[in-house]
Amino acid sequence: MEERCFRVAIATTPGIDSQELEDLKQRYSDKGFIVTNVNNLINWARTGSLHWMTFGLACCAVEMMHVGTPRYDVERMGAAPRASPRHADVMIIAGTLTNKMAPALRKAYDQMAEPRYVISMGSCANGGGYYHYSYSVVRGSDRIVPIDIYVPGCPPTAEALMYGILQLQKKIRREGSIVR
Amino acid sequence: MEFYSFKRKFVEKAVSLDKIMSNTIELVVETINKKINPIETRIVNHQIEIIIEADQLIPSFQFLKDNSKCQFRQLTDIAGVDYPDRENRFEVVYHLLSFKNNLRARVKVFIDENSTIESLTSVFPCANWFEREAFDMYGIQFNDHPDLRRILTDYGFEGYPLRKDFPLSGNVEVRYNEIEKKIVYEPVKLQQDYRHFDIQSPWEGTTYKQEEEKDNNG
Amino acid sequence: MAESKTVTVNFGPVHPAAHGVLRLILDLDGEVVERADPHIGLLHRGTEKLIETKTYLQAIPYFDRLDYVAPMNQEHAFALAIEKLMNVDVPKRGQYIRVLFSEIGRLLSHLLNVTTTAMDVGAMTPITWGFDEREKLLDFYEEVSGSRFHANYFRAGGVHQDLPNGLLEKINNFCISFPKVVDDMETLLTENRIFKQRNVDIGKISKEEAVDNGFSGFVLRASGVPWDLRRAQPYDSYEDFDFKVPIGKNGDCYDRYLCQMDEMRESIKIMSQCINNMPSGEVINRDTKIAPPKRAEMKESMEAIIHHFKFFTEGFHVPEGEIYTAVEAPKGEFGVYLISDNTSRPYRCKIRAPGFAHLQAFNLLSKGHLLADVPAILGSLAIVFGEVDR
Repeated sequence: MEERCFRVAIATTPGIDSQELEDLKQRYSDKGFIVTNVNNLINWARTGSLHWMTFGLACCAVEMMHVGTPRYDVERMGAAPRASPRHADVMIIAGTLTNKMAPALRKAYDQMAEPRYVISMGSCANGGGYYHYSYSVVRGSDRIVPIDIYVPGCPPTAEALMYGILQLQKKIRREGSIVR
Repeated sequence: MEFYSFKRKFVEKAVSLDKIMSNTIELVVETINKKINPIETRIVNHQIEIIIEADQLIPSFQFLKDNSKCQFRQLTDIAGVDYPDRENRFEVVYHLLSFKNNLRARVKVFIDENSTIESLTSVFPCANWFEREAFDMYGIQFNDHPDLRRILTDYGFEGYPLRKDFPLSGNVEVRYNEIEKKIVYEPVKLQQDYRHFDIQSPWEGTTYKQEEEKDNNG
Repeated sequence: MAESKTVTVNFGPVHPAAHGVLRLILDLDGEVVERADPHIGLLHRGTEKLIETKTYLQAIPYFDRLDYVAPMNQEHAFALAIEKLMNVDVPKRGQYIRVLFSEIGRLLSHLLNVTTTAMDVGAMTPITWGFDEREKLLDFYEEVSGSRFHANYFRAGGVHQDLPNGLLEKINNFCISFPKVVDDMETLLTENRIFKQRNVDIGKISKEEAVDNGFSGFVLRASGVPWDLRRAQPYDSYEDFDFKVPIGKNGDCYDRYLCQMDEMRESIKIMSQCINNMPSGEVINRDTKIAPPKRAEMKESMEAIIHHFKFFTEGFHVPEGEIYTAVEAPKGEFGVYLISDNTSRPYRCKIRAPGFAHLQAFNLLSKGHLLADVPAILGSLAIVFGEVDR
């Protein structure tokens, strides 16, 4: 029977990969299975494939596009853009939120399935930004949806946005549970 | 795909542009003065500026577009300007471009708050959205416009933002109400007011001081 | 007599192919578009009202955020308007630097537009190549101004500071390697059967209609009208450069795409000429009060420090007057109508965006076409909502 089964192995490079991974490999090759708790497993699954919904409104949207392109390539972290809110885990509000656009934002947020996270990108989405005193701008998108991570900048460089996504991963690992 | 190499033709034009343009510009101004009766015509920075009456609008523009010497075939912009001190508060400024003569013209019309003005969509189709924007920002009403409604501001917006008496931060702001589960409009409450520095000249004192002095003196 | 009922579909503000925030209300008869009503204003931020409350120096960054894919071209128009009102000359080196960065902006805009339109019609690879080139160009922006996107580099009277050492060489190396990338993208798209089927004869517009509807820029040139502001009304020593202007024949989406690709090649030519002939000297006009004094001078001379203080707090006063200045932005004719009273703040600044006029004609362009042609037409018009909505 062993001849017809697949063999799965964990390959590590000593000195480069972390000690945890080495321990993991040791335990797997000893017993053939790994034991973990549900929270860790769920957090690993959630942080490893953060599909973001492109809510690109203004200039930050172009930096958001740049984070997915070959130089900064956030897809190697597992994050990929999805057009539909129903398929997405995280919504990145990139750009100025105006009064006219606010109902559409809330509707798109309501259509996302739990667990959902929101990253507010750029100073316009954080608190109104450069257009804070204008008559038609919402002074921060946290008036409309609850925000997990704020990424500052005008626009934040693609590196900064990637840092924000990694911080979201840390937050999920820290606070994640089976419910959210 | 055709390529036109414009270098020789246009470099010569650019070098003697002043000569060519001043000939054509004067000819055009003469034609305009003869045929439409503008209130005033002047040449500013190689651009013709014409002030006309509000009721002469459509015939003047039809003339500017069709006349063989003028040929202002394209309307580039319509802007509104607010001078609250004047009797005719609003100024509607039209910018025209002539490809043939390589000239720009600016046509101004003065109207006040309650009067209306003809829409240019019958002469220039692209006036459609520009007029909607002037209506949205200033409240200037255009007659015979195919679709006059708000274009840039919010759907139920009240007020005309670019008027000088409209506050910078507006009158309403938006937030999501958890209890009603929808977006609500509330009066504006700024955490920190807009810092407006009265900075025109430190030697002369601030504007309110100047006004006080003026009141005291005369 | 069969009555065809139309279905009203909301091509909503949240849409991957809407190029920003556009709400299109489409009346569809089956798959055919009967009427298209664009609702804009979802990114209306009140730029013009905010500009009226700031000094001229503080107002320049608002222009960066209008057409945010090619920021410096918009600053160019505003800087030219102020210079004409104040009757101030720009030194030759400043003019050449401005031309160089305007052409870099043109490359940035065309790269984004062509690759995202290609992605909307199904080609997934050009965007990865195009955006890597954009990253190289954004590195040049960062070297010269400190910021990848909103540079705030062009000032009234010239540019803010001189180019760092070695930058011209890097741009030269880019100019040598870039045409190959354009060739690669062309092999993927230009002769591609699917791309042609989705773009040829779609969104056709004739010369007269294009002029009547206020078109400008490459959209107008694709319909056959030979009009380019860099040739007709040259500003900032564009008359010194030798470049061709591509003109199209049919006025459909395919011609607009070809115009953009050829304009990219011509921009590289202009950039190379700029680098080879770059004069030396000042980059901003320091004679009049339009520029702050040099930092070293400010630390030593009393008059310079007073001048510096007045410049950054009160700002320079612009004499009374009004002017309409237009530049050949990558998307079309970007105009600024500036009215000044004799203070340090503009009285009225109206921004004429090319995308506003192009989007206005969307109903005309998409009538009778299928629903699937709507993203193709929208992409070919190069609409950026920062400038349409301001």
